[in-house]
Amino acid sequence: MKRLSILIFLAAALVMAACNKYFDINTNPNQPTSVTPNLILPQALTATSFVLNGYNTYGSQLGGNAANAGGYGGFNEYVTYSYTSGSWNMWSPTYDNLEDYQYIIDKTTGDAANIYFNAVATIMRVHGFQLLVDAYNDIPYTHGLKGASELNPPYDKGPDVYAGLAVELDSAMARINRGNAMATKNPIDNYDVVFHGNMSKWMQLANTLKLKLIVRGLNNSGTKVTFANTSFDPNGGAPFLTTDALINPGFTRDINRQNTAWNNWAYTYTGTAGNKAWVPTLWILSWYDGTNLNDPDRGKAIYFEFGSIPSDQIGNRLGRETVDAPKCPTGGRWYPGTDRTGTSAGNSTGVLKGPNAGYPLMTAAESYFLQAEAYVTGIVIPGGSDDVTSFRNGVTASFIFLYTLPDLSVSGSPAADAATYMDVTNTGNYLADYSSVSGNLQKLEAITTQKYIALNYIHSHEGWNEFRRTGYPRVAESGRTATNTFASTVSNQTFRPDGLPTRILYPTSEAQYNPANLPSGIDPFTKLIFWAK
Amino acid sequence: MKKFLLVCFSFVFVLSAWAQERVVTGKLTSKEDGSALPGVNVIVKGTTNGTVTDADGKYRISVPTSGATLVFSFIGMESQEVVVGERSVVDVPLVTNLTQLNEVIVTTAGGLQARERELGSANTILTKENLTAGKAVNIAAAMQGKVAGFQINATSSGVNPEFRLILRGQRSMTGDNQALIVLDNVPVPSAVLSNLNMNDVESVNILNGSGAAALYGSLASNGAVIITTKKGKSGVTDINFSHNVTMNQVAFYPKMQTKFGAGGSAYGTNLDGSPFFNYLENQSYGPAFDGKIRPLGPPTEDGRQLYTTYDYKDAHSKFWDIGQTNQTDLSFSTGDDKSSLYVSGQYVTVTGTTPGDKFTRANLRINGTRKITDKVRAAYSVSYAPNNYDITSQTGAIYDNMLNMPQNVPITMMKEWRDPKAWGNPNNFYNPWYQNPYFMADNYREKDKNNYLTGNIELRFTPVKGLELTARQGIASRGYFQKSYNGAFTYSDYAKNTDQSSKTDIIASVAEQSNYTIQSITDFLAQYNKSITDFNFNVVAGTQIIENQAKYMGIGIGGLVVGGLYNLSNGTGNPSYGEADFKTRKLGVYGKATIGYKDFAFLTGTGRNDWDSRLNLGSNSFFYPSVEASVLLSEGISAIKDNNLISYLKIRGSIAKTGLVNLGSTSPISGLSDYGAYYTKPTFSSSNSNGVSNGFPYGSIAGYSLSNGMVSNNLKPEITKSMEVGIDLNLLHDRITSSVTYFQTKTSNQTVNTAVSNSTGFSALLSNVGQTQSQGLEATLHFQPIKTDDWTVTLGGNYTYLNNKVNFISDNLPRITLATSGSATSVAAAGQSFPVIMGFDYVRDPQGRVVVDGVTGLPTQNSAVTILGNATPKHRIGTDAQVTWKNFRFTVLFEYRGGYKVFNGMGGSTDWSGTAYRTGVYDRKAFVFPNSVILGSDGVTYTPNTSVAIANGNGNNGFWSDGINRNVSSNYVTSGDFVKLREISLTYDLTKFFSTMGHKFIKGGSISAQGRNLFLWMAKDNYYTDPEYSTAGANGNGTGLNDIGQTPPVRYYGGTLQLKF
Repeated sequence: MKRLSILIFLAAALVMAACNKYFDINTNPNQPTSVTPNLILPQALTATSFVLNGYNTYGSQLGGNAANAGGYGGFNEYVTYSYTSGSWNMWSPTYDNLEDYQYIIDKTTGDAANIYFNAVATIMRVHGFQLLVDAYNDIPYTHGLKGASELNPPYDKGPDVYAGLAVELDSAMARINRGNAMATKNPIDNYDVVFHGNMSKWMQLANTLKLKLIVRGLNNSGTKVTFANTSFDPNGGAPFLTTDALINPGFTRDINRQNTAWNNWAYTYTGTAGNKAWVPTLWILSWYDGTNLNDPDRGKAIYFEFGSIPSDQIGNRLGRETVDAPKCPTGGRWYPGTDRTGTSAGNSTGVLKGPNAGYPLMTAAESYFLQAEAYVTGIVIPGGSDDVTSFRNGVTASFIFLYTLPDLSVSGSPAADAATYMDVTNTGNYLADYSSVSGNLQKLEAITTQKYIALNYIHSHEGWNEFRRTGYPRVAESGRTATNTFASTVSNQTFRPDGLPTRILYPTSEAQYNPANLPSGIDPFTKLIFWAK
Repeated sequence: MKKFLLVCFSFVFVLSAWAQERVVTGKLTSKEDGSALPGVNVIVKGTTNGTVTDADGKYRISVPTSGATLVFSFIGMESQEVVVGERSVVDVPLVTNLTQLNEVIVTTAGGLQARERELGSANTILTKENLTAGKAVNIAAAMQGKVAGFQINATSSGVNPEFRLILRGQRSMTGDNQALIVLDNVPVPSAVLSNLNMNDVESVNILNGSGAAALYGSLASNGAVIITTKKGKSGVTDINFSHNVTMNQVAFYPKMQTKFGAGGSAYGTNLDGSPFFNYLENQSYGPAFDGKIRPLGPPTEDGRQLYTTYDYKDAHSKFWDIGQTNQTDLSFSTGDDKSSLYVSGQYVTVTGTTPGDKFTRANLRINGTRKITDKVRAAYSVSYAPNNYDITSQTGAIYDNMLNMPQNVPITMMKEWRDPKAWGNPNNFYNPWYQNPYFMADNYREKDKNNYLTGNIELRFTPVKGLELTARQGIASRGYFQKSYNGAFTYSDYAKNTDQSSKTDIIASVAEQSNYTIQSITDFLAQYNKSITDFNFNVVAGTQIIENQAKYMGIGIGGLVVGGLYNLSNGTGNPSYGEADFKTRKLGVYGKATIGYKDFAFLTGTGRNDWDSRLNLGSNSFFYPSVEASVLLSEGISAIKDNNLISYLKIRGSIAKTGLVNLGSTSPISGLSDYGAYYTKPTFSSSNSNGVSNGFPYGSIAGYSLSNGMVSNNLKPEITKSMEVGIDLNLLHDRITSSVTYFQTKTSNQTVNTAVSNSTGFSALLSNVGQTQSQGLEATLHFQPIKTDDWTVTLGGNYTYLNNKVNFISDNLPRITLATSGSATSVAAAGQSFPVIMGFDYVRDPQGRVVVDGVTGLPTQNSAVTILGNATPKHRIGTDAQVTWKNFRFTVLFEYRGGYKVFNGMGGSTDWSGTAYRTGVYDRKAFVFPNSVILGSDGVTYTPNTSVAIANGNGNNGFWSDGINRNVSSNYVTSGDFVKLREISLTYDLTKFFSTMGHKFIKGGSISAQGRNLFLWMAKDNYYTDPEYSTAGANGNGTGLNDIGQTPPVRYYGGTLQLKF
């Protein structure tokens, strides 16, 4: 009997073992279920360019860089400013992208060999969260990106997020320094599709991002954020970005492989026209055509037919939808090239440049203008010399960016043209000629206005952020015309004298999936981002 | 079946009387088709003297010399008593008795057969007559409205609509809720249903609850539809031929405003504020129609200008074609006492209401049986069904385009587009933003090819009396190939740059997708039957192995170089591509025991354990039992048995538990099934970043992105516990038949892939949470008020009450989004019925009136989404009538559904374009928002608003096209109630005609006319579309939403000729 039960037991064990093998077929043959951080990084950085393209589009339409073109309808709340939770969604693309950086951080924390990956992902995490705060103010930050352990993440106040981000940058920079001192570590080389493993440049980017946090947090109108540490890493004497940080995994004219801004606004890889529903505003053109400032060189570098745009296409004002509203040429107004054949167009100056152009992560111009503002407002920064130099460097860097072709060669003489712009063409106009400013307010106005121009259709959202923070470039409140303000002609906004909205609403998904924490009473006209005026 | 009975009856071949009596012979036939009936019981009344008919239906019996009466009885037929008199030959035609038929042919799990009386749970049998009256191509359509508790929705339109089959409401929040389809004892994927030749079907048995189906394993927690196909009959050789022609025509078109055409205030306004006309605008916010002749579109390059009257033209509904279905059927059946054979073929061609849409389907079937020895029998059944679609890939876009097109556009004159001079040519087409719908239909094509092969082989071995061993192997395979392509169109420079033109060149592209799936099911089971005194014991033990495999490939390329050549090798640039493989296995071991007492009381218990490869090892085994009982009071209690009023009375009840692994259902390609494989771990994607194609790999640089889905560590099966009690009562010799069932189910451990806040870093989490429950009532009643030789009238119907709700989900997740259309979602929400429609509403006062601004008169959208209605019909009624008079037979079926809401996705789109009926109700003038109030300065009191009007009731940026109207989902939520005339048919039986003509070759036939879905009556507020449609498709639980992907609902009408040789 005993023997029998042993036999039965053995047989049962055998059957169970065979069974387990028979059922052990649930290994995914289609997708990996675990990958190393070095495979995530190139994708995450490239996806950041998609995220930024979304922000530029949003910023250009709220911030006056682009208006609805004639021949298209259905703009509705985009021109009336009656925003709903469905208008604009910066939220999910940004958080989705952040999750990939978070994955790298989680996988590499405590892993000395991958210290660079950890540092780079942290810097990019800060970059993404700042975009979110600047669009939404309060956001899930300390409780965000925690997956299943925090399914309903509470929101953090905007200033608290800013303070936390600065601390994260400090630790990222410390890790780069630690990595530099280590004998063996995994180099990030070409996994890094921004700086190709140049960690000194990542240090510059980190410092510059921190400078942006501090400039906005220690606003000229008062301290809004309490930072734990406002110092910067000297980074061997070159603390801030001096060249443009570009994302480029190898963009090319191929399916899904084009520079995303080019793909959107110029031509798709097959040569069909991109989005023609938007054109430059008359307002933004006024900063080039002599109405507000005279800047034919950058105007020509950016806009198709600048100076000779047919009068029925010269630019529009947001909300003007009458039958004679200017239309968009095939390939868009932002591609200045005369080769308008979709399958060969490209290789141009300006903001779109071509299907193979790198996508700017942060421009040198923005770095210089942030430094200039720091000098004016008394924020102590290393390197550099004074606000005048930084201002002039900023304008020059803008010319250099715009004159640069997709292969990074420079067409023309940006430095000379920049000098002409500041010293000759607009002499006496303090917005371009910094030697004629008087007082800090004019200095700030000049710096911010030039930043707005330098980021036009590159990072329009940053121009829009700075406008909301400083009120520059100055817009008219009464007697609004197409060149003295970018407020929509059909603005429903009556609370603010400038007729402009101040923010977008949280997306519908937060109302649906995180309703308990969603801040209530958010109004697009009255609820300000914490740093805003 | 009849042959099997013959075998059984031969055992009972007993008593015969002798001697002094005389002999009567005769032949028994089916009155219905004249076929011989073997195995009929023939008894001399009042004696135990009896016999059965032979294979040719003939009998021979001794009867007393005088006063003899013969009683003929046969299961499934009405018993007949015939006074012999002086005759020596008594031929009798027997009439089918549906009630009695129920009594025997119930096929349950594993192909086990049970008598109706043994079953403790509700089931409904549909015979071939029930099914084929309306001549639907799809058997799902043929079942609509006929079965209590069975909700069948045509969720889409087109040449081969999809159907969603739900028994007793939805249980699983995100998993499969569709009834299991069992074809000839083998479970098959539900797609097989739409490719089944309905004329091959002998009967369909619907097991409403999970109890009766528990032995099918976890697949059956949603109830089961058991389809039995025809077999050849012993001694009868028939050839059947039929041809059916059906027209399909748009039955309902959304109600639109008919007063205003193209234009808008954006083009300027007259002094009276009325907006200007514009010749290329597609928003209908122009001036009121005045009938004047106006230009349409800009002048062409060669200087021509199209002019039309500015008036309402009804071109929207004239755009749709009248489609036609042709169905030809041929079948052959034969049999002898050793084997039987049934062979059939079918060919169906369909043209759709969307211009150019075509569909063809063929079907071949061979069913056979063979008695190898007295102890071994074999059966086989094989079907091959290829089909082909040739349709446009832009149905939704075309419909949207048609809905948005101003009513002054005579679109039907633009059918010709290839001629460079035609007004329909894309260069000349009036509208720069939308393409000519005829051009879209022609230029964007999709060709789909499906090959279904299903079959099974079965061996039954009876080593000793009472013991039967069965081995069965079934397969269901599908090969799917799709080619979608579009041609190029290069616009002239003139067209690209005229007026506001946004015309841009169209690049040719082609994409290929293919998929192969195969399901293999192996069954071994043993059945033992033994009677001891008054008790009968039936014990079954079995095992089942199911394996599913699928392979998908997809590749696409653009920039085709040589015009008209749609081949992957003709492209430029890099192709996009993908592949996926899936494999799952399941093992079930089960047992069943039934104890019968005196053949009127029965108790059955079952148990089954499943092992499933889709769950983690260690948690992949689960067990579930069931118990059911039935008592046939009309047999057990003599007082009932003997009275003339009650002819059948049964009470029954069951309690069951079933487990179901509910993981995934659609794959990345084509929305085809992934069988729920590989869901236990999160994945990484190489070619897209969170849904956006990212171009990776770039040369040697690879990139991966973490997917947005999270998975909980220990996924378990969903468990459904159900109970039901019911009563079946027939009165007055079955002139009245009725059945009532109350049921309750509770499903917990819901496997839910729920959307979560993006700030978690993810967008969804797959885990076991929540519980749903449903309860309801199913009732059927039929009665025959008239039954004479010439006339029979049967009236009746079925009623279903369903109340299902979500008990809870989890603390973190009060609701789950199942589907989305526009700003509305279909949601499983804790404490609410399942599912509910949620979306944005206006800010309202406590009385529900809309609060508007005291100055602008404008309402405000609520910032939070709210519940806007229950999406599942609470009440469903099917009523049918059948009248026969001599050789005529007339049937009619209506279906009503009520007590639910539907969100109409086309609402926002047509409001935007200004064609919607709503946009015209105030004649585009300023208006006071109806039933609105204004909040007083005290912040508490609301006073009705009678005077503060919304100033801009018109125009491109006015109220109707603005987000404050379009984004408010509640504006497009209407009642879903409807009544449909599902089926109506009139048949003339030609059998008598041919026999009186003395035709030997033609044995019988019929001609008939029939219609389906001829009329649709909907609730007054629903002027949009058929509430059966669902954005979520046939497989999605997120019902209650529709969109513009479904073309207008269609009615079918046609005629059939059927001949029998």
